Amino acid sequence: MKKLKQNAPAIPILIWISLLVGMPLMFVVVLSFLSRDSLGNIVFRFTLENYKRIFDPVYLRVFLNSFILAVLTGLITLLIGYPVAYFTTKLQPKKRSFVIMLIILPFWISSLLRTYGWIILLGKTGLINSLLMQLNIVKEPLNMMYRFGTTLVGMAYMLIPFMIIAVYNSVDKLDKSLVEASYDLGASRWKTFLNITLPLTIPGIAGGFTLVFIPSLGMFFVSDLLGGGRTIFLGNLINTLVTRGRNRPLAAAFSVGMIVLVLLVLFIYNRVAKDKGEGLF
Amino acid sequence: MQEPLLKLININKYYGDSHILKDISLDINDGEFLTLLGPSGCGKTTLLRCIAGLVSIESGDILLRGESIKDLPANKRNVNTVFQNYALFPHLNVYDNVAYGPRIRKSMNETKLKRRVAEVLEMVQMSGYEERRPHQLSGGQMQRVAIARALINEPDILLLDEPLGALDLKLRKYMQTELAQLQKQTGTTFVYVTHDQEEALNMSDRIVVIHEGRILQSGSPREVYNNPRNLFIANFIGDRNIIKVKVLEKGDEYSRIRLGNHELYIRCSGNAECAGDMAVLAIHMDKMRISCNEMPNSLTGEVLSIHYAGSQIRTEVSVDGKKITVIEYRNSDCDYEAGDHVTITWEDSGAILLPMEDFEENGI
Repeated sequence: MKKLKQNAPAIPILIWISLLVGMPLMFVVVLSFLSRDSLGNIVFRFTLENYKRIFDPVYLRVFLNSFILAVLTGLITLLIGYPVAYFTTKLQPKKRSFVIMLIILPFWISSLLRTYGWIILLGKTGLINSLLMQLNIVKEPLNMMYRFGTTLVGMAYMLIPFMIIAVYNSVDKLDKSLVEASYDLGASRWKTFLNITLPLTIPGIAGGFTLVFIPSLGMFFVSDLLGGGRTIFLGNLINTLVTRGRNRPLAAAFSVGMIVLVLLVLFIYNRVAKDKGEGLF
Repeated sequence: MQEPLLKLININKYYGDSHILKDISLDINDGEFLTLLGPSGCGKTTLLRCIAGLVSIESGDILLRGESIKDLPANKRNVNTVFQNYALFPHLNVYDNVAYGPRIRKSMNETKLKRRVAEVLEMVQMSGYEERRPHQLSGGQMQRVAIARALINEPDILLLDEPLGALDLKLRKYMQTELAQLQKQTGTTFVYVTHDQEEALNMSDRIVVIHEGRILQSGSPREVYNNPRNLFIANFIGDRNIIKVKVLEKGDEYSRIRLGNHELYIRCSGNAECAGDMAVLAIHMDKMRISCNEMPNSLTGEVLSIHYAGSQIRTEVSVDGKKITVIEYRNSDCDYEAGDHVTITWEDSGAILLPMEDFEENGI
């Protein structure tokens, strides 16, 4: 009874979450076991057909594509984001909040618009190509659009703030006297970074990786606009199945597959954060 | 005269506009236990960090064995620090924490390292804890590991930044004795920072009193305790009765002063310093005695109150309207109650006459 009282403030949130997250999620799961007629209408007849189709090699390839894209996005954002976050923590407080603001600023602009920005930049008649042609560095415009790499760049650009903020918090929280103790014991800056700072910020890295990995599975418009649909990712596939393929049950099955992938990553993150964070955070 | 191990020459340090260290000059001798004593914010920790190389200095020089280490980064100086919060690496166990320095410096192979780690852990009585992580240790144990981690590098100087501050009183007293023993045993020069006068008096060979970025006095615990150079030190170290008095006659060593209706002879702290018309009389509360008989060179007054506080008896006496506190550790040779007239005497070393100059600043 006492516990109930203590947890009372959480009840509205629980209702909110179960209505707006739990219910739709359940619909998706239920939908993935249903069939459809030739017009794409849902027929309430139980089937495992949708799940069987997921394991078709063609579709498994889509899973793999998405997984590779997400992992690479995570790695790129980590490689660029870690130094940015690390050096931001070294700035004076005023400069620091300014830099953080700059990092968060893109969130105030529609991500769709920003993706179009990349087309303006990278397209055949885009800024970079016009500049290179003007300067006579290249004769033919470079073909930078509609490749796997283009999608990767766009995805990494879109999600890097998550990585930077996660790592920043982790580095900022690190006890400065540990770094000083390492210098004091004879370690150079670089050795201190490798032996102390890096291992102690692994929870931040894992957190950032998770925050980047999960949305990169679903942001279909980035690969639609920048990748031109040449490589098919999970997000695009689900989008196509719903909007053009009229096969919502199959789309639901893929969604469930994606959720399983996300849960897997969250599980690994939990293990890492718990293991490394012991006694620290 | 032996060459000092560490020579600090006119060190100045600023943080923004505030002048933290003002022209600090100090010689530290090989093998001594030196304590930097001062209230918080006096600059003692900053001075320690300057020696460690964790902060730079604006002017002046630091010579270690005659060579300037001013421009050497912390990792190139052969001094080690025991940090206030221990700063043990949480992701490494006790063995790896202690082995960190030698491994980074590549100063010994793993076999020798193993032996040395065992040695220093033995020295701080932490054998058998090699596999533990820092968060599995108590405060006192972490402290010992931190000391072992520093000592394994055989530093020229071990810097200790209020290392006992986070421990409870009993453990602190115990560790004081241990630290002093460890220092004698290893022969390492210790520079110890604290704001706790008792710690300083207990362990040190020499105490350096710092206030507002300046060295006020440097001397043995006995010297600093009995012969404070000014009022700040007198007030900071030990519990004293501090009274404004009139100087009647200035002598070489003793001056004749007037306190209310009493005329007394009191030792002077410096030469010229109690030459003014007025001076400050400072007497250790625990070096005073209450007696029922008339005595020479004493004060008489009326007992205001008597408190029994365990081992000590605290009596407040009004002498010509001024309140004087006497702390005694055994019963006086006479019985008295509140309202009785008594005589107060003191050990000669416990009373001193100080210059007036900083009376107001100290807000006494």
